[in-house]
Amino acid sequence: MPVQKGFFTDTTLCIGCKACEVACKQWNQLPDDGLIFSGMSYDNTLHLGASTWRHVAFIERPVPLKPDQDGAFSWLFSSDVCKHCARAGCLESCPTGAIIRTEFDTVYVQPDICNGCGYCIVSCPFGVIDRREEDGRAWKCTLCYDRLKEDMQPACAKACPTESIQFGDLDQLHQNAAKRVEKLHEQGLTDAYLYGASKEDQPGTEGLNAFFLLVDKPEVYNLPPDPVVPTKKVKAAWFSMAASAAAMALVALGTAVFTGKDARS
Amino acid sequence: MSASTRYARSIEPVRTDGRDIDLDVGQLAGEGASQKASGSIEEHLGSMAQTWRQLPEASTTDPAYYDRPMLQESIWGWAIPTYYYVGGLTGASLALGAAVQLKNDPELAGLVRRCHLIGFLGASISGALLVYDLGRPQRFLNMLRVFRPTSPMNMGAWILSATAASATGALLLSRRSGFAGFIGRAAGLAAGIFGLGLATYTGVLVANTAVPLWQESRRVLPALFGASAIASVGCTFDIFCENERQRRITNLFGNVGRIAELAAEVVMERQASTVPRVGRPLKHGLSGMMWRSSELLMAASLVISMLPRETRRRRIAAGVIGTLGSFLLRFTVERAGSASARDARASFHQQRAGHGAAAVTASSHDIPHR
Repeated sequence: MPVQKGFFTDTTLCIGCKACEVACKQWNQLPDDGLIFSGMSYDNTLHLGASTWRHVAFIERPVPLKPDQDGAFSWLFSSDVCKHCARAGCLESCPTGAIIRTEFDTVYVQPDICNGCGYCIVSCPFGVIDRREEDGRAWKCTLCYDRLKEDMQPACAKACPTESIQFGDLDQLHQNAAKRVEKLHEQGLTDAYLYGASKEDQPGTEGLNAFFLLVDKPEVYNLPPDPVVPTKKVKAAWFSMAASAAAMALVALGTAVFTGKDARS
Repeated sequence: MSASTRYARSIEPVRTDGRDIDLDVGQLAGEGASQKASGSIEEHLGSMAQTWRQLPEASTTDPAYYDRPMLQESIWGWAIPTYYYVGGLTGASLALGAAVQLKNDPELAGLVRRCHLIGFLGASISGALLVYDLGRPQRFLNMLRVFRPTSPMNMGAWILSATAASATGALLLSRRSGFAGFIGRAAGLAAGIFGLGLATYTGVLVANTAVPLWQESRRVLPALFGASAIASVGCTFDIFCENERQRRITNLFGNVGRIAELAAEVVMERQASTVPRVGRPLKHGLSGMMWRSSELLMAASLVISMLPRETRRRRIAAGVIGTLGSFLLRFTVERAGSASARDARASFHQQRAGHGAAAVTASSHDIPHR
């Protein structure tokens, strides 16, 4: 098996240039998904979606970045992307098998299979995948599957001018990330931590192939603090279904039998 | 610094005619200063000022990203909650049909046949509704190209197919004699068993999502949908009642369902509200109103059908009101779930309260920045 590929997005290096968003749109030839003015800082993209596979969040934080900074304000930028989870909610819920795991250990939607049922959309704990209404199918970041097969790096990582987005072998990325956190801690940014880097960090998804370095609560970046692939929690529902079905059978048999006796008497 | 003070200087104190010049600090002396302009600041700044005014306050204790949703909302249209109702009705009536069929009582053959008819029509309509809601309806058969237990929707596609096939067999063959009749009666029993699955799997389908309300209600949703399915069969036979003998069976069946549905609704509201933000859509807003209404309708239907000395008019009223309640329940679950998906804090609070992965993973782990 070829090595696992992934992204390490170091948000402390992001300058909010949106080159990743543009490069992604251009390489993948994605249509626009509405030109709006949100009023929310420089973010008029707002969220990942069917035609937005990279999204830069602009956070205007009413707190200083470091304790010795003047003024209670700091910018945080973060380029969000599909996490390509080790246990992917979209993949496990897909009823057609359209969503697969590739040889690079990434999660890929096969457009020739997807029938647009919409189940993956509610099953993603990060709200990544979405259906394009005119198209009728579900779409999300492919981690540039086409480029990977040609031994090229994904468009967003290629375009990133600050190496905030790093692409590579997952093992290598983990090493880089650990070193980076160490360095930031040395520099006094003790809030820096890795989000979803390993199974231990994020047992609900068993780790993300696209993980992040953050300096504030995940919620600040619109990321869930303790996400879980729905399949991990659904056992209780299957048990409940079995019990409910059994109870229904008893009710049906019971009513048929007992009312029968009444009628004869 | 809150959002309101951040933008205050640029927008709020400026009393302007569209030039964005505060006359307390600047004066109108430019070449175009005499150009006439009038109107309120809202007119001049238009939607932009409105957008800024509506910006949420940044919170450090309960953060979110401009109060934007974190999850994607369900894109299912009216056909899916309708299917939850129709599929439930189909499944529960086939289950009743099979139970009555086991009694082998010729007087009840009409009831069995009606159950099979509802099963056949319901399964056909269910299939049509599901195909209609697909983004690519012509690819509906892709649902059956894999067998995937991790996907309740895939399991449901198989359950619905099996139910439809056996209900059709039961309807066409069970009154024949000889081997065909044997196959028909076997199909009737099989349809009853598949029907039990059809009426309850939708609860698992909805529970197996990231939608906070649905996920939090995962233990009770299959029971709620199953109970409501029984109630809706009772209500349907309230409206289309054939004779006194059948009436006694379907009335009891329906009333057990009504009581179970009401109980399940109470349990669901309580479970979902363990984390207040998650249960909020059941208590507030349009979805809250719909939730109360569906409870009231079902309770009213129960009361009417339990009144002594039943009349035809009263019986039909109970059936119609109960059907409405059962139907509304499915739309409420859909709508309230979407409301909780739109509210990023519903997910955040749920996960901070230990109801995220922490609820199922054995190893205790640190949630970042607890």
